[in-house]
Amino acid sequence: MKFSLTRQAITLAVLALLPAAGEAIYFQDKISWRSPIPPSESVNVDQARAWGQNAIWVDARPDEEFAQDHVPGALSLNEDRWNELLPQFLAAWSPGKKVVVYCSSLSCNASREVARRLRKEAQLPDVFVLEGGWEAWLKQK
Amino acid sequence: MNKTPNVQLATPNTERTEDSTLAVGRSALDVWRLLWRILDFVVAGIFIYAGSIKALDPVRFANDIDNYKILPWPISVALAFYLPWLEIFCGLALIVRYFYRGALSILMALILVFTLATIAAKVRGLDITCGCFGHASQHWSFPAHLATNLAIIAALVVLWVSDRLTKSL
Amino acid sequence: MKTHIVAFALSIIISLSARAELKWEQTTIELHPAAADKQAVGHFKYQNSGKTPVHFKSVHASCGCTTAQTQKDEVPPGDKGEITATFNIGDRTGTQIKTVTVETDEAANQKTVLTLKTVIPQQLEINPTFLFWKQGDKPDQKTITVKVGKEFTVKHIKVTSSSPDFQTKVEEKGNGEFQIDVQPQETKNLIASTLTIQPDDSQKVFYATARITNAPTVQ
Repeated sequence: MKFSLTRQAITLAVLALLPAAGEAIYFQDKISWRSPIPPSESVNVDQARAWGQNAIWVDARPDEEFAQDHVPGALSLNEDRWNELLPQFLAAWSPGKKVVVYCSSLSCNASREVARRLRKEAQLPDVFVLEGGWEAWLKQK
Repeated sequence: MNKTPNVQLATPNTERTEDSTLAVGRSALDVWRLLWRILDFVVAGIFIYAGSIKALDPVRFANDIDNYKILPWPISVALAFYLPWLEIFCGLALIVRYFYRGALSILMALILVFTLATIAAKVRGLDITCGCFGHASQHWSFPAHLATNLAIIAALVVLWVSDRLTKSL
Repeated sequence: MKTHIVAFALSIIISLSARAELKWEQTTIELHPAAADKQAVGHFKYQNSGKTPVHFKSVHASCGCTTAQTQKDEVPPGDKGEITATFNIGDRTGTQIKTVTVETDEAANQKTVLTLKTVIPQQLEINPTFLFWKQGDKPDQKTITVKVGKEFTVKHIKVTSSSPDFQTKVEEKGNGEFQIDVQPQETKNLIASTLTIQPDDSQKVFYATARITNAPTVQ
């Protein structure tokens, strides 16, 4: 039973789909198909709101955007003025609080960067990036 | 009992020379076949190893693909789960000599695409230090990556040509 | 058959050359600003090598921290110009990649992505930048590790605490490494201190925070 080249290639390609699908199921909690942020580091608007007083909201956007409008009670912490803004954020933080960082939308990078620096430099636990960012918050209003 | 000693004496000589040419020809072919099999195993080993490393950490591989900034994230995730197994299965195909040419063509296509992506990333100034060996090769330089890829392409071409030649024999 | 191929190829070449009007000297620029620089500027030079003027439809950057300016909106044939991308470093660290997307009227959806890669020198790497003790905890000593960046030499660092309630001591570990020992006098009150870390002969100042926090409320 001699298969043609194309048949051979297609068979191999289809065979490889099986373990690939298996892995996708196995790793589904470790990777999100929607964004590069791991599921353990991101949270959606509903979940974040459910945390109530236990959550500290952090706005990673530039000063002008924060001044225009922001999540009520959110603190501004961006990379332009990190050194200046960090101490007042740390003053509001206490162990057990969950930090929710957002920037304008799903595609902006600032919230990931701010979250990364809080985890790495300040070594804070429970730092999350808000899925969908400010856009998602507005939709829920 | 017909003995024709003259004829019998004559034939061993010609037979011996025929035998020896055939023998030399046959052993040369055997050596070639052996080298070819060795190359099969070497190339298969490379792809099975590369595929396994990436299959063990698909999250990291997805991020590495994403770093090339060519594909949207969900596609990077899909490829991160799929490509390593394609490499492994094609490598196995080379070893068991089943679906041999199909495997060769898939591997050739994979490594060509990969080499082009690496060159494109370098031209765009992206910081790509990870090649087809996942993070095991992250300390290699761009020329080292390119050289390795070209060597693998060359090996695949040799295997392809050897296969075609034997088919025409 | 051959003439058809030649004609086809020629028409492709002609149409391609008619399209490619704006030629960029570089579409990726790598910048290495000095430690004290506040901005990093990349000059993306172009030339209109075509026969018709080129208009810039839009020029926008990937983030608010980068601004991009064109000197002119219309580029006559043969003219040269540049798009100036200014990246405000702010308090950013590490290698930052920002892009500027340029849209022109050359062809349908003609977009060029200009990449600005800025390697920000890090004189000191401070880990962690935040130390805390929970109210009521033992006022133990905690440490901050300071590593000097590869391209720099720092012999001494000076650490000052904004509040006398926190004591600091610097240990020189050698090999470009320092250790700052921080200890509060007590953890009864919710006191805080900003630690100012200054390398010798340097104008740049680094910070860390030490504070006493609320004990977490039992849920």
